Amino acid sequence: MYLYLHYEEPVCADLQDERYAQGRGFIAKAVNGCHTASLTTPEDKEQAQQIHHEDLLNLILGVLRSWNDPLVHLASEVQRIKEAPETILWKAVEIEEQNKRLLEGMEKIVGRVHSGEVGNDIYTPWEGLPSLQLADEDSRLFAFYNLLHCLRRDSHKIDNYLKVLKCRLIHDNNC
Amino acid sequence: MDLRHLLFTLALICANDSHSASDDLLQWPQISKCRSPEMETFSCYWTAGNFYNLTAPRIIQLLYKKSNEEDWKECPDYITSGQNSCYFNASYTSVWTPYCVQLASENEVFDKKCFSVDEIVLPDPPVHLNWTLLNTSQTGIHGDIQVRWDPPPTADVRKGWITLEYELQYKEVNETKWKELKPRLSTMVPLYSLKTARDYEIRIRSRQRTSEKFGEFSEILYVSFSQIGIGCDHCTDEVEFPWFLVVVFGVCGLAVTVISILLSKQPRLKMLIFPPVPVPKIKGIDPDLLKKGKLDEVNSILACHDNYKTQLYNDDLWVEFIELDIEDPDEKNRASDTDRLLSEEHLKSHGCLGAKDDDSGRASCCEPDIPETDFSASDTCDATSDSDQFKKATEKEEDLLCLDRQDNESLPSIANTDPQRRHRNTQSQNSHPWAPFADSIESPRLSVHTQMSNQNSLTSTDFYAQVSDITPAGRVVLSPGQKSKLGRAQHEGCTEQNFTMDNTYFCEADVKKCIAVTSPEENEPHVQEQSYNEDAYFTTESLTTTVANLGAPTAEPPSSEMPVADYTSIHIVHSPQGLVLNATALPVPDKEFNVSCGYVSTDQLNKIMP
Repeated sequence: MYLYLHYEEPVCADLQDERYAQGRGFIAKAVNGCHTASLTTPEDKEQAQQIHHEDLLNLILGVLRSWNDPLVHLASEVQRIKEAPETILWKAVEIEEQNKRLLEGMEKIVGRVHSGEVGNDIYTPWEGLPSLQLADEDSRLFAFYNLLHCLRRDSHKIDNYLKVLKCRLIHDNNC
Repeated sequence: MDLRHLLFTLALICANDSHSASDDLLQWPQISKCRSPEMETFSCYWTAGNFYNLTAPRIIQLLYKKSNEEDWKECPDYITSGQNSCYFNASYTSVWTPYCVQLASENEVFDKKCFSVDEIVLPDPPVHLNWTLLNTSQTGIHGDIQVRWDPPPTADVRKGWITLEYELQYKEVNETKWKELKPRLSTMVPLYSLKTARDYEIRIRSRQRTSEKFGEFSEILYVSFSQIGIGCDHCTDEVEFPWFLVVVFGVCGLAVTVISILLSKQPRLKMLIFPPVPVPKIKGIDPDLLKKGKLDEVNSILACHDNYKTQLYNDDLWVEFIELDIEDPDEKNRASDTDRLLSEEHLKSHGCLGAKDDDSGRASCCEPDIPETDFSASDTCDATSDSDQFKKATEKEEDLLCLDRQDNESLPSIANTDPQRRHRNTQSQNSHPWAPFADSIESPRLSVHTQMSNQNSLTSTDFYAQVSDITPAGRVVLSPGQKSKLGRAQHEGCTEQNFTMDNTYFCEADVKKCIAVTSPEENEPHVQEQSYNEDAYFTTESLTTTVANLGAPTAEPPSSEMPVADYTSIHIVHSPQGLVLNATALPVPDKEFNVSCGYVSTDQLNKIMP
């Protein structure tokens, strides 16, 4: 089985911290819960090592699926931000495309691993679109910040899980 | 009084300032940083400030809370990470969960911070740095080394829980600025071209791959080549390549060479190094031609190219020919040739004038590779744009170039190719005339014949004859003209020009004919217009249109008392203003006309015509 690693570069760090957060004191605020918080994913190394690799793959797939819709809307809504520089716009599109590719890759892998059914039930719908379209600019930017923060975290999580799986399955825990 | 008041105010201000300064010294406790070295545990550090000194001792607590919890909990370990720190071990650490910690003392919150563990990862420095020699240069002055190290022991890289990037920095011992290499994932890196005479220092730091901040630097690794016995004692002086001298001498030498070439008297060398810039040139045009002022030849050659308008030249020729006409004593001989033409209706089996070669159908001299179909060839050369002229042409169209020799089937094909070849505006219009043309190919013969007979009876004292029609046999039907007197002079000019110009090329069609289209300006403006539009080369269409526009086919043969010369070809020099009728028989070898582009050089002409 060939496991190839694609992970989303957390460029959100640039997007949110430098552009908005510092100027508006977002960092101090507690980040609101992400829409994928309901998915029970391993939170530390011990849990990640104990979970079965098939379950972990399904979890990864669920997270990727849950992010497909928000990314599409993010790419389109970010263009409405008045002061958004060019880099943010095309980065958003790039991230969305990368997510799609990653999702496709993961589905292929899971399809090979899971000869049986693929865990389609792992999925969290996203209902944050209205918050991205608020009239008040500050509220809208805060919603963007939260979404990007969640995206950064989830992409970091997926990256970690995939690495753990790779080292476990391919290099026999000796990366 | 005022002064003392002022001084008192100043003293108060100063006192206030000092009092506020002392207040600034009371620093509140602050959380300085929270850090996780391996993404499994984390610690938070704070500064107590001078709080303890100034007030009663109070206990500072660090409280933490996960995002999904309600209550604040106290730090589980104040000791492990040192003083003023709080250590969270693996059981208390959830990596991607948002935490908030706050520094408080008895319900008074000094500082608060929120983060998640994956954002505060700062790895420990790498360990076990060492270096090995790869190779040295032949001179022994430089050497390459390979530096190796191990990842920090706390980071679990083997299981892939954390991925580290390393940045190496090195410098010579007595330098101040470190040179940096790009961050890389591998735990070894080569360093090239180090000077064996010098000692180096190396240090490495690491960071999590997805982060931007680096951890602390490792211990410094010292590199000394002399320790392993390859130091170069006598290479203290660095021999550098004298680039400056090379450049200076090179530039000087080049300048000297260029100047000597420019000044040298050898044109060949000069041409080799500095080739002359080609001047614009029109194909077929000799610049000397223009200088000599032989406008007719230039006109004829230029007219072979599309879009050439010979308006100006036409005017000049008009004047010129008039003058020549008066002075020419041989015009009567020429005029008799016209008559001769007319009487020789069946001179040839195919009624072709002049050329017996197979290329006679080719009116175009611009493109030698034109297929044999006459009209397609003539189309390219034809510049006629008026559809009216074509319509008239179709009624009276005669093929001076042996068109009747062609099959009638070729005509529809021509009709097909015709629109393709047209580059003018009248593409759509031109296609139509051809169809009736095909039909009327036979009829004009009869009408012309009658015309010819009529014309023969007419006499005229004019030296010029207006060409009113052209028979399929290849005869030019001349009409008695008050109108245009150009015929004589023009063909006279044609012959003169033919033989006097060097390196001039004539169109194949030109060689055959030189038709004088004498169109009075006042009466037939559209003929002139048409002649302006046409190429210089004779084409069937041009002939027919001009003929057609000339109106009534009242050809005017010259007086019959002229000795009629036996001629077999008409020599055309230029556009349908000039018609040269050769007085002598033209043995027209086929081959000589088969030159590229249908051109016939003057020399060939001279061979043909004595």
